[in-house]
Amino acid sequence: MLARFLDWCDARTGYRAALHHLLDERLPGGTGWAFTLGSVILLLLGVQFLSGFVLAMYYVPSPLLAYDSVRYVMRDLPMGSVVRGLHVWGASFLVVAAVAHMLRAFLHGAYKAPRELTWLSGLAALLVILGFALSGYLLPWDQKAYWATTVTINVARGAPLVGEWLASGLRGGPELGALTLGRWYAAHVFLLPAVLLAFAVAHLFLMRRHGISGPLRPKPGPATPFFPWHVMKDTVVMAVVFASLLTLAYFVRAPLDEMANPADASYVPRPEWYFLSLFQLLKYFPGPAEPVATQLIPGLAVGFLALLPFLDRHPERRPWARARLPYSVGMAVLAAGVAGLTGLGLRDRPEGKAANDWGLLPVAGLELATGENSVCARCHVAGGPAAPMERTSLRRDEEWLLNHMTDPVAIAPGVRTAEDRAPRSAMGRFGAQAVVAYLRRRHAGIEPPPLEPGVRLAAMTYASTCVVCHRVSGEGGTLGPDLTAVGQRRDAAEIQAIIEDASLVYGESSMPRFKDKLTGAQIEALAGYFAGRK
Amino acid sequence: MIEQPARISPSSLPENPRRTFLVRVIQGVHTTIGATLAFVLGGAALAPGLTRRERLWLSAGDLSALRDGEPRAVTLRVARQDGATEAVDRRVVFLVRSGDGGVRALDSTCTHLGCRTRVNADALQIECPCHGGVYDLEGRVVAGPPPRPLDELPTRVEGTRILVQV
Repeated sequence: MLARFLDWCDARTGYRAALHHLLDERLPGGTGWAFTLGSVILLLLGVQFLSGFVLAMYYVPSPLLAYDSVRYVMRDLPMGSVVRGLHVWGASFLVVAAVAHMLRAFLHGAYKAPRELTWLSGLAALLVILGFALSGYLLPWDQKAYWATTVTINVARGAPLVGEWLASGLRGGPELGALTLGRWYAAHVFLLPAVLLAFAVAHLFLMRRHGISGPLRPKPGPATPFFPWHVMKDTVVMAVVFASLLTLAYFVRAPLDEMANPADASYVPRPEWYFLSLFQLLKYFPGPAEPVATQLIPGLAVGFLALLPFLDRHPERRPWARARLPYSVGMAVLAAGVAGLTGLGLRDRPEGKAANDWGLLPVAGLELATGENSVCARCHVAGGPAAPMERTSLRRDEEWLLNHMTDPVAIAPGVRTAEDRAPRSAMGRFGAQAVVAYLRRRHAGIEPPPLEPGVRLAAMTYASTCVVCHRVSGEGGTLGPDLTAVGQRRDAAEIQAIIEDASLVYGESSMPRFKDKLTGAQIEALAGYFAGRK
Repeated sequence: MIEQPARISPSSLPENPRRTFLVRVIQGVHTTIGATLAFVLGGAALAPGLTRRERLWLSAGDLSALRDGEPRAVTLRVARQDGATEAVDRRVVFLVRSGDGGVRALDSTCTHLGCRTRVNADALQIECPCHGGVYDLEGRVVAGPPPRPLDELPTRVEGTRILVQV
């Protein structure tokens, strides 16, 4: 029955002959494991396409919902974190595989006539893959997304002549925001896949048209058919790569920072590892020399790769042969440069807010929102008039959130029926800021630190007093010094003395005397906590 | 157009045990990769469609506000998770105190075509403005086109608080 159906199809399509043409290609003897990378890239592209399709079902390209929709995938959707893991880690796998494939082609001199366009279509596909990576990590709309994209757009602005024009095209509006997210999303899911498909099809067509370049010294003897002898090697490598990717996706959660917060300038952006070399390069060319790092050097690198088939036209294929030596040295310098800068970038961890640092304000927020006397729990409980606390989102802007917390009922119509008593004004402005800070941490899935009574007391005292002037871990005023790492400079006794009466320590100080304003226990809790911040 | 006179499939080539084995292994590995992807991605694509709507007990006011034989319309705010967002439905139910101290909750949606019914406090009956359906205080059809009584929602009383399940 099936055989008859297939015969019927074959008579009308000729698919069997096409399949044979595809599978029976003769490969030069000695075509080995190095030639399996193309198949690995095809597999990884397939995984990216399918996992991206599932993610797009749940993702919402709007600053109000993007973060929550990714959080929904990671937390509530069955197998959602594995799907996002496949997509996020798969992107890294793909960059590695594509670069390895290019290096393999270089070593075999595979770009030489008549394969110049095969090389160029592959190089173009690699650049499109990097474009995917760049546009992809804006989409979760977390801190990393927001600040790394800010850097990208500023880099584009530095381009000569067209810089401003390019930057406003990338941004889509006067500020990084909804308009930016919309166009980067559209590029990521419509434009780039279509462009990549075109280059990939051209690459495969040209590869079949000219045959593969094969090993430098083919083994004597008859050529072997592609199927099943080489496909077996492809299959083994694909299985290993897929199993590694799946294991990684299952056991290591794809990162999601706190929600993007344009007001928090304490966040130090770092790009994904595959752009770290460019990011590191920026540090060596500050100020007016910046275009050297952002345009000149990357431009020379891509130009070298693009012109390679037209410069190195000698038929010699061995990379160490005299005729090819200059290009091999050029490629080695490029590879070593990228690898070295990436290594330096990985080691060079800038000082900034650590991702899992709770600071003090969020601890106070935790106490206010979930502690015994929580006003939030009056409404935010299962079956209550508002969503239970673990279901709340941050899709409103900061202004709304702060207003809601100081006067919950006025700004959330419908949560109170006529016979309910009006709740008292819930909390002051600083309390509200503390709760917002807490929600940001909690929504990022960052576990709270162990809360000893001393830390609780210190947090509540900080949130009502010190926060006005002092910043801890990105939150608080800036009139006084930042206390994020004050433990490195002062011990508990010194801190206690400063809180009690700063003028006795510094002579003259604008910091008020707190000896009579705070209790001894409060001052002790603060001193103990800050001495531990190193 | 490719002319294909006869079938030449790999299976019609002279049998080679090593080759046959390789073909089996290749088929097996690719099937496994495909099935794993189908399980993970299909699971994530289909799972939310298979979850049931959760049932919630919502507070519908105090028992003391309810008098015997006098229906009271109460608006319930039903918040439910809808993907990454929260959807809020407002449902109006009629609370009627029954003789034995219990409370019945009738859904205000007319069973005819889904209009919102309302209480006629003078006639002590529930009327639909659309096509003249009339129900008594127990939700039974008294007149008009409704095919069945008003839907009743489970209720329970905790202390003096009335809870309705939606």
